[in-house]
Amino acid sequence: MVTIQINGKLVQAEKGEMLIAVIRRQRIDIPALCHHDAVEPCGSCRLCMVEITKKDWDGWSKFVTSCLYPVEPDLIVSTHSPRVVELRKTILDLYLARSPKSEIIQRMAAEYGITQTSYQEVPDGDNCIMCYACTRVCEELGCNAISAVQRGHKKIIAPPLGEPPVDCVGCLSCANICPTHFIEWNDDNGKRTIWGKQFELVSCKICGKKTITRDFAEYLVRKRNIPANYFEICDDCKRTELTKSMGKIVIAAQEISK
Amino acid sequence: MEKVMQNDLSKIADIIARNPKEPGSLIAVLQDIQKEFHYLPCEALMETARVLGVPMSKVFSVSTFYNAFSLTPRGETIVRICQGTACHIKGGKLIQEQIESALNIKAGETTPDMKFTIEIVNCVGACAMAPVIIVNNDYHGNVKCDKVKNYLDGK
Repeated sequence: MVTIQINGKLVQAEKGEMLIAVIRRQRIDIPALCHHDAVEPCGSCRLCMVEITKKDWDGWSKFVTSCLYPVEPDLIVSTHSPRVVELRKTILDLYLARSPKSEIIQRMAAEYGITQTSYQEVPDGDNCIMCYACTRVCEELGCNAISAVQRGHKKIIAPPLGEPPVDCVGCLSCANICPTHFIEWNDDNGKRTIWGKQFELVSCKICGKKTITRDFAEYLVRKRNIPANYFEICDDCKRTELTKSMGKIVIAAQEISK
Repeated sequence: MEKVMQNDLSKIADIIARNPKEPGSLIAVLQDIQKEFHYLPCEALMETARVLGVPMSKVFSVSTFYNAFSLTPRGETIVRICQGTACHIKGGKLIQEQIESALNIKAGETTPDMKFTIEIVNCVGACAMAPVIIVNNDYHGNVKCDKVKNYLDGK
């Protein structure tokens, strides 16, 4: 265990833990867009920056992204010092210029008192903030279907060669993790479309409800050692079946106790 | 993207085989392919991904990131015209117009016979001899409009 100081309060933390986890456990609200527990941190959104110092730093302090900074003994952290708030405001201001239509960015900026960006808005600025959450989760899953393409202001997240991605299984992890809901997809008539690729959805054998894509089911069966018939029945029907069998067990147990 | 010939495919396999079969060889392999074909054919990218065990999305990401790689075919001779501050002041724009009309293509394009490609660069660190053009790897300084044709002919 390591003892650190957050906003003047002494706090215990696990060794090797990232600062953001400790800060959030203290119910201190710091914004972050690229951080997600499902993927490795990468510190691209810069919003979780905090000011850190130590007693022997002679009054010097520095800014670090708390999602990437492991706790150290005797660390003194301020999450809302004037300097760090100023920094966060600048970043939110820039995000607001980049993605003026994003609701989450508007909300975060409003919390810091910014309703209108002081920079020039990007013409037709989309909601992608290049946080790489989607590419990281795709990599984590082992598909690697999408990546950053081009560089500088032309950079976008796209499948290779600009074609429907061969490696995509249509799991929607990228769309679900996207903090600004930029990645578009739709389910229609038993078909799912994402990244320009169309997938067939598996229907539940009992109730006929559409569950996941056939490609994703096959992928999980192949890679994660899941029984091949696992995805034939939807979760709701599995639960119903389980309840029925549980009922039978209870009745049987009652019979025995008599 | 243009299709490559059957004998090119074996050439691609040879180029990849010259480098260690590991993800770290990616850039070296792409450089070798670029040198051989003057661009990165789609088939070469897929073969590189397969042999080195790098996801196709990573290979595509790297090949679009660096300016040294091109995904569209480029000419045998690459004419780079400097439009940095010094070259711009000394008439780089006129040189560019002269070369464009001599080759009958615009900057960034390639002649239909695949001989020349014009590229614009922003300073090559030779400002003292502005305006500068680079024909393949030969630097030409103090370029005059009437001499442009000579440089293109390799004189």
